[in-house]
Amino acid sequence: MKSKNYIGKIKSIKKINKDVYKLDICSDIESCKSGQFISVLCPNKTLRRPFSICDFDRENKILSILIKLKGEGTKYLSSLKENDEINFLAPLGNSFEFFKDKNALLVGAGIGIAPMLFLKKEMEEKNINNYLISGFKTEDEIIKGSDKVIVGGSVLDDIEKLIKEKNIDVIYSCGPMIVLKKLSQTAKKLNIPCYVALERVMACSIGVCRGCIIKLVKNNEINNFSVCKDGPIFKGEEILWD
Amino acid sequence: MGLERLKTVLKNEKTSKTLELRTPIIGASGTYGYNSEFEDFIDLNCFGAISTKGITIEKRLGNDGDRIFEVQNGLINRIGLENVGIEAFIKDKLPILKQKNIDFLLNIAGSTIEDYEKLAVIAQENDIKALEVNVSCPNVKKGCLEFGLNPNSLFELVRKIRKNYEGFLIVKLSPNTSDIKALATAVEQGGADCISAINTLRGLGIKIDYVGNKFLKKTVQGGLSGTCIKPVALYMVNQIRQAVKIPIIAMGGISKLDDLFEFILAGADAFQIGTANFIYPSICSNLALELNDFMIKNNFKDFEHLKGAIINE
Repeated sequence: MKSKNYIGKIKSIKKINKDVYKLDICSDIESCKSGQFISVLCPNKTLRRPFSICDFDRENKILSILIKLKGEGTKYLSSLKENDEINFLAPLGNSFEFFKDKNALLVGAGIGIAPMLFLKKEMEEKNINNYLISGFKTEDEIIKGSDKVIVGGSVLDDIEKLIKEKNIDVIYSCGPMIVLKKLSQTAKKLNIPCYVALERVMACSIGVCRGCIIKLVKNNEINNFSVCKDGPIFKGEEILWD
Repeated sequence: MGLERLKTVLKNEKTSKTLELRTPIIGASGTYGYNSEFEDFIDLNCFGAISTKGITIEKRLGNDGDRIFEVQNGLINRIGLENVGIEAFIKDKLPILKQKNIDFLLNIAGSTIEDYEKLAVIAQENDIKALEVNVSCPNVKKGCLEFGLNPNSLFELVRKIRKNYEGFLIVKLSPNTSDIKALATAVEQGGADCISAINTLRGLGIKIDYVGNKFLKKTVQGGLSGTCIKPVALYMVNQIRQAVKIPIIAMGGISKLDDLFEFILAGADAFQIGTANFIYPSICSNLALELNDFMIKNNFKDFEHLKGAIINE
């Protein structure tokens, strides 16, 4: 589906924990897939802000994102009210690959849970076995919707055990680079494919500015790929981790 | 489309070389990709041309680390001229430009005079209508900006490119100089048909957070663009206008119709839109349509007529 510039309306905005807001946006958008993101105009800032889609209600064309307060841009967006206009580009980026008969482990670290929630929903619609584990620093940072929640420790602490217990065949994850890197290494060791959704500061969000580059190793050759257009989903094993 | 009145002809009066554009609005190099990347968002027939991503002889991966730093009303970038290289451009990117009938300026950059000469030869061989020579990228260590800041070496460079290239030759100038007039004069005397200006300004972005009794610091040095540079761009374009007769393609912080009028008064004959494309991906075609509407509504029969009215009234 082509990306477009939509002017949507805030259907609802809810504070769901200490510093995360859930925005439901009503617009003309016909479809989008888990893993994709939108790029939202913040009139008080130079650049748009990218957010993973955390839910999509096809029937009512309501798209949801989670906004974690970080700076002035997110502060502005959190101050929006019902029926306010919101200008966004969507849908952007690639999406998660599905495997019908594989048991999937979904790992969300912090706000990285956002695309995992949408992925879980889509997997359930497709009757794919899945298990979502998420990790948060503190109780008041928890975002609901997981099968298991880790608070305080690392979401990766007992991950190998979990992979074996649940007979996991494929892993999907989003969160800080350090988590994605370690998880990819574990997956590689266990010979399980691992798909990671990357977060980056973006300028254009449509692949032209080359501002959000990630280096991948394919066929023994290192090349630049843009997180916004070629990603945000990449195979963990192909990423040249720092 | 009904944009006939926006038709723009850039003409070097001395040589009679011309560049015809559907509209005076061009997508600036580095913000518009190689060819049709923006087609989801715009009608490709609705704006003048694109200036391609800066092309070098060899493919470049660009800079490591953070490449983008947002500042108030602007953006600092240090992409480092990442590009596919001229060979891949000719093979993979050029056919799409031709197939989709997109007018373009081929933006080129080099580390040595020989690089620029080679690129000019390739442009000539491939019958490329317009060349925009980047002598002003602040983000690469060698070459490029060195040529752009010294009138004598710039004159030599332009002369050598001119020898190898018969199309419409545009040189893009850096604002990071104390004497833009001398550079503009060197470009004109070297045989260029047009000047585009300005490239990004040197800038340093610093972000400091105080977390857990510690200052977390981040610095990004690169090229500053966006609406915050517009007054500098207007000044530079005006200085260039005073120094040379060849046409000027102006850029630097353009994001709305009024900006176009301001740049016309400063001396512009056409415009490039850069950073604003990132925020409003339809802006190149939208501004053209807006300008067209303004001209229809106010009875300006063509772009020259509008320019004349702004400058002389």
